[in-house]
Amino acid sequence: MKPEDHAWKALRDHAGAQLRSDFAARVVRAAQGPSEASWHALRRRGAAQLRPGFADRVLRAARNLPGMPSFLDQFAFSAGTAIVCIAATLFLHSRSEARENEKNLARWQQIALEAHQNEPRL
Amino acid sequence: MDNSAPTDLVELVRRAQRGDEAAQRQLIVAYQHRVAGFVFAMTSRSDYVEDLCQQVFIKMIRALDRLQAPAQFESWLFRLARNTCIDQLRRQKLRRIFLPFGEEHENIPEPPGAVDSEELDALRHALAQLRPQDRALLALVQEGRSHAEIAETLETSVAAVKARLHRAREHLREHYTPPHET
Repeated sequence: MKPEDHAWKALRDHAGAQLRSDFAARVVRAAQGPSEASWHALRRRGAAQLRPGFADRVLRAARNLPGMPSFLDQFAFSAGTAIVCIAATLFLHSRSEARENEKNLARWQQIALEAHQNEPRL
Repeated sequence: MDNSAPTDLVELVRRAQRGDEAAQRQLIVAYQHRVAGFVFAMTSRSDYVEDLCQQVFIKMIRALDRLQAPAQFESWLFRLARNTCIDQLRRQKLRRIFLPFGEEHENIPEPPGAVDSEELDALRHALAQLRPQDRALLALVQEGRSHAEIAETLETSVAAVKARLHRAREHLREHYTPPHET
């Protein structure tokens, strides 16, 4: 046996020693994916989270919750909100426009008066 | 399409649609454990299960009169459950954006021993790595839904469901690390 053969054997032995005894079985199980038993346990665990009297609590909650607004109600509410917003915008716009016009008119009157006073008399 | 729904179930759904509270209660009792299992598979959080199940069944009671085909009740119910869970996961994601420190509180791991086995932990870990849509797909299959029913639930084609299912299973296997044998 050549000296490097010893080294290779040692390397293989070392690598092989890193694997657990159940390596092959685990690889096969991993390739197959979770077993039916695991899925069953998962469902059982989920089901176990419900406290006794669950159905009664659901019915009580369903009875006590306020009713869901219908599509028509929601549409009417949205339309109403939009109308109020548009009306408020138009009102504020016309008010500020009127104020601006008044201010401009007053300024023009002032200018006209000053121009009239400064006009040289013939 | 679940046209093979037992006539008892169809009759029960019709009674519940007419507002019969006893029938609504019977429906909740009949499906609560299956919906809880589905919700747990979707969220991996025990503390969300009851709250989300309650949301699902309240939605069920309120929307039941709009269900056109009582024979498709199961597909419809699991669609409600899927959408409720995905909405919850989206809200949680948004909360993490606006409340970065909330994540620390929201991701408190299940206390040791709270979970049944290492095998189950491995499955939960693998599921948590998947997109919620893929989780829902796998959980629906585990619920016994056919490809056609899932296609109807997700409003897609059967071929698309098969392709997505294949990919989801591949991803699950990639992330699934089985525990060591003792």
